[in-house]
Amino acid sequence: MGRLSGFRVTITQVFRPRVTEKFPQEKRPKPPRFHGRHVLNRYEDGMEKCIGCELCAGVCPAQCIYVRGADNLTDAPVSPGERYGFVYEINYLRCIHCDLCVEACPTEAITETKLFEFSFARRQDAIYTKDELLVDDEGRARRQPWELWLGGEDDETSAWMRATSSSGNAAYENRVAWSGELGFGVREPERGQGGDPGALPAPDQGGVS
Amino acid sequence: MTTNAVPMSQWPSEHRYTIPVAPGPETVTVTIDGRAAQIPRGELLIKAAQDHGTYIPRFCWHERLKPVGMCRMCLVEIEGMRGLQISCATPVADGMVVHTTSDAVTTAQDGILEFLLINHPLDCPVCDRGGECPLQDQTLAFGPGESRFVEEKRHFEKPVPISDLVMLDRERCIQCGRCTRFADEVAGDPLIDFGGRGGSTEVITYLDEPFHSSFSGNTVQICPVGALTARPYRFRARPWDLASTETSCGACAVACRGSLESTSNRLVRLLGVDSEPVNQGWLCDKGRYGLDWVHSDARLRQPMVRRAGELVESSWPDALDAAAAAIRNTLDTHGPNGIAVLGGSRGVNEDAYLWARLAKGVLGTDHVDAQLGDGLPADVVLGMPRATIPDLDRAKAIVLLAPDLKEELPVLYLRVRRAAHDLGVPLVDVAVRDHGLTPYATAVLRHAPGDPGAAAGVVADALVGRPGRTKVGKAIVDATDGRDGPVVVILGRTSVAEHPDAIVHAASRLTGLPQVRFLSALANPNVHGALDLGLTPGFLPGRVSLDAGRDHFTKAWGAVPDAVGRDAAGILRAAATGEIAALVLVGCDPLAECPDRNLARAALEQADTVIAVSAFMDTAAFGATVVLPPTVWGEQSATTTNLEGRVVRLGRRVTPDGSTLESWRIPAELAARLGSDFDLETVDEVQDEIARVAPAFAGVDASLLRRARDGVVLPLADHADEVTFGRAGAGPGPSWEPILPVPEVVGDDDRSPSTSASDSPSAAVPAPTPPVPLHRWDAPPDAPSVPPLDAYALRLVAGHALYGADAIVAATPALASLTHEPTLGLNARDRDRLGVHDGDRVRITTARGSVDLAVRTDAQTPPGTAWIVANAAGPGAPDLIDLTSPVTELRVETIS
Amino acid sequence: MSLEQIPHNFLTARLEDLVQWARERSVFPATFGLACCAMEMMATGAAHYDLARYGMEVWRASPRQADLIIVAGRLSQKMAPVLRQVYDQMVEPKWVISMGVCASTGGMFNNYALVQGVDQVVPVDVYVPGCPPGPETLFHGILTLHHQIRTGELLRRREATGAGAGIQLDQRDGTPSHVQPIPVRRKSA
Repeated sequence: MGRLSGFRVTITQVFRPRVTEKFPQEKRPKPPRFHGRHVLNRYEDGMEKCIGCELCAGVCPAQCIYVRGADNLTDAPVSPGERYGFVYEINYLRCIHCDLCVEACPTEAITETKLFEFSFARRQDAIYTKDELLVDDEGRARRQPWELWLGGEDDETSAWMRATSSSGNAAYENRVAWSGELGFGVREPERGQGGDPGALPAPDQGGVS
Repeated sequence: MTTNAVPMSQWPSEHRYTIPVAPGPETVTVTIDGRAAQIPRGELLIKAAQDHGTYIPRFCWHERLKPVGMCRMCLVEIEGMRGLQISCATPVADGMVVHTTSDAVTTAQDGILEFLLINHPLDCPVCDRGGECPLQDQTLAFGPGESRFVEEKRHFEKPVPISDLVMLDRERCIQCGRCTRFADEVAGDPLIDFGGRGGSTEVITYLDEPFHSSFSGNTVQICPVGALTARPYRFRARPWDLASTETSCGACAVACRGSLESTSNRLVRLLGVDSEPVNQGWLCDKGRYGLDWVHSDARLRQPMVRRAGELVESSWPDALDAAAAAIRNTLDTHGPNGIAVLGGSRGVNEDAYLWARLAKGVLGTDHVDAQLGDGLPADVVLGMPRATIPDLDRAKAIVLLAPDLKEELPVLYLRVRRAAHDLGVPLVDVAVRDHGLTPYATAVLRHAPGDPGAAAGVVADALVGRPGRTKVGKAIVDATDGRDGPVVVILGRTSVAEHPDAIVHAASRLTGLPQVRFLSALANPNVHGALDLGLTPGFLPGRVSLDAGRDHFTKAWGAVPDAVGRDAAGILRAAATGEIAALVLVGCDPLAECPDRNLARAALEQADTVIAVSAFMDTAAFGATVVLPPTVWGEQSATTTNLEGRVVRLGRRVTPDGSTLESWRIPAELAARLGSDFDLETVDEVQDEIARVAPAFAGVDASLLRRARDGVVLPLADHADEVTFGRAGAGPGPSWEPILPVPEVVGDDDRSPSTSASDSPSAAVPAPTPPVPLHRWDAPPDAPSVPPLDAYALRLVAGHALYGADAIVAATPALASLTHEPTLGLNARDRDRLGVHDGDRVRITTARGSVDLAVRTDAQTPPGTAWIVANAAGPGAPDLIDLTSPVTELRVETIS
Repeated sequence: MSLEQIPHNFLTARLEDLVQWARERSVFPATFGLACCAMEMMATGAAHYDLARYGMEVWRASPRQADLIIVAGRLSQKMAPVLRQVYDQMVEPKWVISMGVCASTGGMFNNYALVQGVDQVVPVDVYVPGCPPGPETLFHGILTLHHQIRTGELLRRREATGAGAGIQLDQRDGTPSHVQPIPVRRKSA
């Protein structure tokens, strides 16, 4: 081989499959418990699920959520019950996507999508208000100009799942506790993180009940 | 083992509800969870356990209410007694051995909580109590992990308003009875009670009458679940958002202690702090919910200066320069007697002192008055022997020569009611018309407006054992027979439509009684501080007269005025005639507060210069030359003086919006611009200067005020033993339990004499003798002559309503809706004699003016008199009253 | 004479496009990895995402050869002067990406030890959220910066706002205007 032996490594690499992602055109698949930016969900009749209880704000370790509740109007309620989220803001320059808000939410109003490709040229853009977080009439996340959504990505949105698996079992699929509806309309709960489905614990063990 | 308990119906309602037991040693030995403790005889087991470090869970029991044993949460096991006992209604007995954590007890607690949660909705996320809820906390600490109840919970319409301020959610109610017992036992407004049976028991109001109590907010505070929520606070914040500071309420002169809570730099809640000598944990609704005015859009946030006839926003240096220039200009043209300072009774001690120093020490004018003709002569207030609020509980008798305390000083009403109703102190009511305390009076004396002297004479005789020929005299003698203790006279303006001389004369009849002490019933928040600190003609700070304190203050200040100046009525008259050219209005609006509005209007129109220190663009500020907006309650730390002469600290919870100046800096800055720098940098320095200079405040410096738990009563020399310091490590408890006052921690304050003193409650307070003897009131005035009643005229009685037209109410949306249109209250007999009906508009004419008002039948008003609220918005009593005449007679004519 | 000083006409406009294209395609970042975000920053430069596709293959250890500084991680108060010095040593035109929430606002470390947002020290052009941002997110931020360089919005905005200074946070709070008090029966006084 002589002189060519130095090129052996190079030539070998040339015929290997490419690992580089065509990033802006394609994304790598996200793992099942990936935490992207949030959405605020609605019921099928259009009512907001958020009741303004501020539990998400209370649990948030980065203090990035700001919520204020207000009395629902009796003739034109925003959410079922007495109270609704009058102000809802998330500062994405503080959010660490820990998903504790999702765990804390008693009505599954806030869930996270898989969208993580966003950046801001202005600080103000980073503070998402309720208008930006709330799902649209189709139950899909509202796309902001500074977010990179690819086709079909919002199908993956808003499936509810605990940040940490119950009972420490990564393969466990949580059940929906509060209602059968997620996002807008009924969607499948998300799949577990691999593992043999037969080995799953019975739903009664360690799930939400 | 026997406790010899008497039936519950015979229990006395004392503050700590001990149960009378057979006589024996003072303390008994009780073993609680293996620890022996010495406990006062008759103490309730739940309280004894709490004081010795064992918390027994409870819902219905509250230290300030009678025990009922409704919730059964406080069950404990007592050796030798069958079954479990409720510790909230069991007095301790010698040799008692108590277990609070045995298996039987925990099983019972599990059962009780599971039972309470059967019907309790789990809507904690939307419940205002969620996060500080006793039911949540105790379920977590003592409850079962799960419920076996799978059936439908009970449902009610929710929430329903039971008053303008309180919402009731009947689903959440656990029937502990705290609210109903409070309304009945403490407030004396039994307007709510339980209705229904079994599972459908609910709190109800009368069909035709909502829960209209001035104390309804207390039920929200002590509710152990979220069944009662306050409409002003509803959904404003969650408990974990709140930051709190201990302060005193700024709504009236009682200065109740409270815990002021804010979120996002907005005041959202005031909770009553259980200050034993003052408010014992309660607040009135005006104080509790009068918070939003601090953040009102109507607040002035920039100083304003009149330029070319228009008030324009300005910077502070420019505005202060303009004010100083206007004052200097008046000094040049009219001399010191051309300037007068009015107001200061709604401020704080520090600004009152500095305004007095500015006026009397720098400007040289004694035309200074904090009261606008609606108060008592300073000679009386400063010189009378003073009572404290706890004196009410141990008094021989309480004599009311005061306006309706329920409207003007609501928490003082609670204390008087407790003394009279629960502690059995005889209450003598001398007034023109019936009021909130009349039902609790032992003897009721009614007199014609302007003539309380004769009635006071009867009381004075009866209190020394001479019943005379009257029935009330005999009743007073019977009630006070064998009692000793001070006679507490609550002295105030029974009606602002009569001259104060009448009430002063009546009070002078009582000064001869043994151990007589007076409690002033002036209502403005810091009127006593303002008077104490010299904002009144003829007096210098610290309750000394101009002559007595001349040498002392000349040394301290450099100069004092030569002669006694005019009072508010005199100042306004002099301003109306042009003798006084410049008026400085310190947080007061004469057009709204002075009982004689015509005089105030003339004075403000005639004055060349009006400098208004005002947080709002009120009518006085509207015509002012310079408007200087101060920071207000909740935005600055300061001190205030309540009606006992108790100096307490005010806490700062929010940062003021806009550009306002701490209220005490305004006179200090003006003085600096007028060539006399006070050299005061911090509010502590002002307090220290007051302690150094003002004789009545001797020893009451910033460091003592920081450490004193319930404030300091003036003069310190007489009340040094009443000063209590906080316990080390004591912190505020949950809001539904009595919140104990905690003084500010002064760990690194090297100016405090010794840091250990703040930990020990028994530390002696150095009480220096005042350098100048304090003023004493003697020389009772001659009896004023009251003109005979004109057969066709009615005599006007005018008093203040709780929700009047002041800034706190007007700028707080929750309270503004509680105000009423002023009406003419007439006795049914007079109404029929005049041939008018309820709602008819009539023209009321006095020598001073005339107004049109609607008629309302008022059973509290006796025949021959007419009742008009003096502090309502719009035309009313102030248009009718002449400050100089002894009484106000009015004629009523119907208008079509 | 810098680009901005050339009088504007058809030719110079085309020249400007060319220059901006060139700038966009040759951004050399300086390394400023302060914490965990630096791992993701390295991953972004590695084969899977391959920044070299956008002309960014060289990470410069010398500020004089860099156009872009990616502040990756929480900036302590002690490190702040160093950041400023490195930024000052870079030659114009230069850009800053604040990577991750700690760099952008202090993130969950709301305390005295950290600078609560590096825009208090240097003017930031693009904020990248995430704790830490994944390579895609940082890549998205870099593409946002590229877009800004190409459209020239960056220069205009710097003139208008002083670049990154003067943060305005709108709380958008208040009482909803439609909340009406519920009437109750009242006794007349």
